[in-house]
Amino acid sequence: MNAREKLLRKLSAEQFAAWEAGLFLNTHPNNTEALKAHREYVADAAKTRKEYNEAYGMLTHNCPQEGDKWQWVCGPWPWDLD
Amino acid sequence: MFVYEKKLQYPIKIKTPNAAMAKFIIAQYGGPSGEAGAAMRYLSQRFVMPYNELKATLTDIGTEELSHLEMVGTIVYQLTKGLSEEELMKQGFSEYFVEHTVGVYPQSAAGDPFTAATLNSKGDLFGDLYEDLGAEQKARVTYDNILRMVDDPDVRDPIKFLREREIVHYQRFAECVRIAQEKMDCRNFYMYNPSFDGVKR
Repeated sequence: MNAREKLLRKLSAEQFAAWEAGLFLNTHPNNTEALKAHREYVADAAKTRKEYNEAYGMLTHNCPQEGDKWQWVCGPWPWDLD
Repeated sequence: MFVYEKKLQYPIKIKTPNAAMAKFIIAQYGGPSGEAGAAMRYLSQRFVMPYNELKATLTDIGTEELSHLEMVGTIVYQLTKGLSEEELMKQGFSEYFVEHTVGVYPQSAAGDPFTAATLNSKGDLFGDLYEDLGAEQKARVTYDNILRMVDDPDVRDPIKFLREREIVHYQRFAECVRIAQEKMDCRNFYMYNPSFDGVKR
């Protein structure tokens, strides 16, 4: 696993934790523990996403991008084996 | 609206191709218990749901199923990438190859094209929720059956993740049934259909 894959895995784990908390909150909207957990996981994931975006490129169209080439078209794409 | 994030929900890196495996794993791409059907079912049912918790749950789980669809497509793609015609034929892939080469096509393991005939959007609160509980169990069983036939840890790993998600989704839908029952009259849950009766513009 290279450094990019490692960072992406970290981001996936943090996003997943936030997502799970969110699904639980859909049916338990007043649960204070879950609300707190969601806040923390979203903050962690936001930091990691920013780190990934700066080092490796855009994760969504809404990501900031510099340079003189449209980074979005660049690989690797999620299903690639490379 | 839908936004795409350029990553898989869970990583997939399959080192050894195996078209024979792809032949039955494709069931979860376009088959009756597969992710395309699940996404269509939940994203369609959500429109007439009467309660916010249910609109949110159906929207979110429906969205997650699209991420799972992407994962299953990735598995099929990686399992068939780089094989020669001879290897594909030897692994029983000829009928699929003749129509789709190694493209990813939404079909069941038996080759039936994806259809909405195996899902419903019944427009009834309990009719829809109970279908969803059943759908998650059927998907879980299909992943169980895939795991019975697959030894490769690169393939087992994402399949096990997908299987666990079905169980969690089942749990969330069960909570939706609880919420629906709490909002209805316990003397007769079927007294009326809150997805239709009394709905004003």
